[in-house]
Amino acid sequence: MEGAQENPAESSSSVLRSEEPASGPEGLPPEESEGCARPLEEATPKKLCGYLSKFGGKGPIRGWKSRWFFYDEKKRRLYYSRTAQDANPLDSIDLSSAVFDCKADAEEGTFEIKTPSRIITLKAATKQAMLYWLQQLQMKRWELHNSPPAPPAAPDATLAGNGPALRLELEQEEAELEEFLCPVQTPPGLVGVAAALQPVPAMPSALQNISLKHLGTEIQNTMYNIRGNRQAHGTGHGPPEDESPPSGEPQRAEQPLPSDPSTPDAVDSPKPAPKSSLTANLIQKAKRQHNTFPLFAEGLTRNRTAQEKALALEQQVLMLTKELESQKELVRILHKALEAAQQEKRASSAYLAGEDKDRLELVRHQVRQIAELGRRLEALERERENLAQTASLQEQQVRELQQHVQLLMDKNQAKQQVICELSEQVTRNFMHPPPQASVPPGAGDRDFLSQQEKMEHLKDDIEAYRTQNGFLNSEIHQVTKIWRRVAEKERALLTKCAYLQAKNCQVESKYLAGLRRLQEVMGGEASQCSELLRQLTQEALQWEAREASAEVPELSPISEYDEYGFLTVPNYEVEDLKLLAKIQALEVHSHHLLAHEAVERPLRERWAALGELTPSVELKQLLRAGVPREHRPRVWKWLVHLRIQHLWSPGRYQELLSQGQVHEHPAARQIELDLNRTFPNNKHFTCPSSSFPDKLRRVLLAFSWQNPAIGYCQGLNRLAAIALLVLEEEECAFWCLVAIVETIMPAGYYSKTLTSSQADQRVLRDLLSEKLPRLMAHLAQHRVDLSFVTFNWFLVVFADSLISNILLRVWDAFLYEGTKVVFRYALAIFKYNEDEILRLHDSLEIYQYLRFFTKTICNSQKLMNIAFNDMNPFPMKQLRQLRTAHRERLEAELRELELLKAEYLEARNSKAPAVPEGCASEDEGEGEA
Amino acid sequence: MMAIRELKVCLLGDTGVGKSSIVCRFVQDHFDHNISPTIGASFMTKTVPCGNELHKFLIWDTAGQERFHSLAPMYYRGSAAAVIVYDITKQDSFHTLKKWVKELKEHGPENIVMAIAGNKCDLSDIREVPLKDAKEYAESIGAVVVETSAKNAINIEELFQGISRQIPPLDPHENGNNGAIKLGKQATQASRRCC
Repeated sequence: MEGAQENPAESSSSVLRSEEPASGPEGLPPEESEGCARPLEEATPKKLCGYLSKFGGKGPIRGWKSRWFFYDEKKRRLYYSRTAQDANPLDSIDLSSAVFDCKADAEEGTFEIKTPSRIITLKAATKQAMLYWLQQLQMKRWELHNSPPAPPAAPDATLAGNGPALRLELEQEEAELEEFLCPVQTPPGLVGVAAALQPVPAMPSALQNISLKHLGTEIQNTMYNIRGNRQAHGTGHGPPEDESPPSGEPQRAEQPLPSDPSTPDAVDSPKPAPKSSLTANLIQKAKRQHNTFPLFAEGLTRNRTAQEKALALEQQVLMLTKELESQKELVRILHKALEAAQQEKRASSAYLAGEDKDRLELVRHQVRQIAELGRRLEALERERENLAQTASLQEQQVRELQQHVQLLMDKNQAKQQVICELSEQVTRNFMHPPPQASVPPGAGDRDFLSQQEKMEHLKDDIEAYRTQNGFLNSEIHQVTKIWRRVAEKERALLTKCAYLQAKNCQVESKYLAGLRRLQEVMGGEASQCSELLRQLTQEALQWEAREASAEVPELSPISEYDEYGFLTVPNYEVEDLKLLAKIQALEVHSHHLLAHEAVERPLRERWAALGELTPSVELKQLLRAGVPREHRPRVWKWLVHLRIQHLWSPGRYQELLSQGQVHEHPAARQIELDLNRTFPNNKHFTCPSSSFPDKLRRVLLAFSWQNPAIGYCQGLNRLAAIALLVLEEEECAFWCLVAIVETIMPAGYYSKTLTSSQADQRVLRDLLSEKLPRLMAHLAQHRVDLSFVTFNWFLVVFADSLISNILLRVWDAFLYEGTKVVFRYALAIFKYNEDEILRLHDSLEIYQYLRFFTKTICNSQKLMNIAFNDMNPFPMKQLRQLRTAHRERLEAELRELELLKAEYLEARNSKAPAVPEGCASEDEGEGEA
Repeated sequence: MMAIRELKVCLLGDTGVGKSSIVCRFVQDHFDHNISPTIGASFMTKTVPCGNELHKFLIWDTAGQERFHSLAPMYYRGSAAAVIVYDITKQDSFHTLKKWVKELKEHGPENIVMAIAGNKCDLSDIREVPLKDAKEYAESIGAVVVETSAKNAINIEELFQGISRQIPPLDPHENGNNGAIKLGKQATQASRRCC
């Protein structure tokens, strides 16, 4: 009854089963299989297994194939084989990444297992079986994901237990796991170990059921089955068939019944029925039982395989054993009936034998008894009615509950479908990430389809883009190659152009020099020649302007200002000097062009490769060769920092500035006076809108407070200006100035007496005598004193003398190595022009020449080589000794001079009265002083 | 040919009064508003006719800032003339001028010709030193005095002409070259005396 109500889908067998156990028209009745399976439930772990139809979409034989599916708890995979008795499974399915699906529109019982690698379409006998399978599979998957390393929990593996108690237990467990779909009752007979006892569902042809894909396994299994049949015990993967030994033939006739709760007889008659009816019943039953045999036999004969025959036989044995037991029970009942009849017989004979009185007594007693029994019967009748009423009420309730359950089940089914769809979508998205964000869930089927279509389109687009991308990559590669080659060519052409330009410059400068010579030789002679000469000179001077306007500007014409803002061609008004300046500018330009490729490029690369700056021999060499413009600010900052670490403190500069705002330093006036006179040939200092003069003012004022002993000395403005031009930030420039004055230069270099700087002129004279004796002899012969020009060099570190690109190179080395560099370059400048000076034999000419000769130096490479190679050895010790010696001598001279002065004054004072008139003015001067 | 007589002239005076500008105007007839302050010294020459002679001025332009004074003897020693420049707009520069005169009297060559130039006379509206003061002072020391403007080329030529006139003519027996040598000798003598 219960089974029929709970499994409405199972139509055919349910009615028959509830009536009689052995009335199944085909195969074994479900109850029988239960009977076999139940003893095993406790002993072995419950198994998920059963027959399902698998759709084979590939191979020559398409269509549904019956397969025995079982879940292996140890291997955690769903295996399937052709029959339950097959030793080797055909294949297995990994459930961990599987997705289950049942299609609403498909054939009843059809569902799908989708794994990333394949889709398996399966069909269960009924919808319920399908749901059961799906649920179980989900549970297995859940287990797999929840406790992968732990051994599978035994109770989860539900078996085809049909008992109400077991079902209840199952329900509780499932209810815990499943919240969406209420657990489906195990479809009896269709799943579980018992299902293995069922014959393989009939197939149109045996061949169709054979798996061609797993032919090897098929053959193995066939062999195994044949062997198993011979041994009379098939031990497949299906149900373990360690059952009771086959029973004897005579017991077969007996039929057990009274204990069976499902038989109507047992329910209706708890007491033994009247003898006649009982026996008749028994006979009838026995007949029926016998009748099953032919049917059974028929079923047996129907089974084709030997295995199945053996199975049937075993079943028969089992059944006969049961029958024997029931026969025994029958005998027992008959015995009881006999006893009752004998008792009755004894009572009636006692009645017959008794007297009237006794008989009356007995009758009365009987009547009383009858009346009592009638009352009891009535009471029982009432009770029964009550019970029937409650029963009907409860039945109604049950029906309502069932309806409710059905409703919930339907609902859950729908939900599960949605889940299936979604999980399918998830796997699809997981395997092929969609180009867009995931499709919004809950969209309708049509929406979904259109999106899928869209996705297809997008996929096509992606493919197209991918191809395009590949093509474009190759295109980029090609174009880059071409571009590189063109750039190389261009560079080569530019180099060539630079060389040609340099050559042109040299030729031009030579021509100009020639013109100048001619002019000098012709002197003031007013002739046709001189007229022509003037004309030519005029033309030559105007070349530049014409070139600049006519030529392509790319070919690096001589620009008016260099990269630090200095005028490249000094702005001389005098014609003579103009020509000279032009020659010089041309020379510089040609050197610049030539040096650019050959010297500067590798240098630039070396500087670029240089990481963090640390004092080293390599750095010294690099600094001597000059820092490329882009690295100079950084390098100078580092160089300055090295020197002023002990003096530096944060906010010091601002402090000094604010100090300057409160009190005016006596030097402020002089600073102001010199601001506009600093580098009048540099656009940064002449341009009225430039911020440089203001910065310079602040730097110099701050310095006057930083070093009040020096305050301001003319020349410091140029040092600070160079620092500003390179470093740009005024605080950096300030510290650079501090570094030069307070750490690089000896004490007293810029002091009120300039002792140290004057001493250095004498040191230089000594060094020149040592390194360039011929030149010094020549100069001595013409009584030329060099200090008028060299004093400036030392005080402002060549800032007034050298052209800017050489000057900054000198500074690069100077900031690192100190004053030695100034000496080296001072010597080198004379060496560089030694021949030129030696050629001059007039002191005036030499003086004239010395005035501008530093500006004619344009080969910085040559000058550097002289300074750092030709002037070696250049020991610091010697320099120091010379310095101290000259300083002492100079100080002594100064003291002597003071003494002389005092003496002179004294003498004059004593002479004063004797001096006649005209000296009154002197007195006046005295008074003023 | 006229005899060329080389005359060493040095320029002295406070910083920023226009010594270099005067030289520049005289030698190159050019004026630059901002000339770099001279450090050490600068040397230029210019030849001008004077009577039947040619005077070649060897002009030594010196640094003006006070701390460079100690270098000055090198330039005024052996000089035939000294141009002492002051700025008519700055009283201080006139004081400095007096100091220079004093120093020249004490340590300079004995017969040095002194010429006083009151520069920047184009700025007479902000004048601080009256011409009268300068004239009186110049007279007292027997110096040439003239107000100049290097910017507007006023009295520059005249200044040097005045110096030329003060230079005593050469002994008619000696030629120009000898004169130059003589001057040179004088210079060496002077240096020995000073330092």
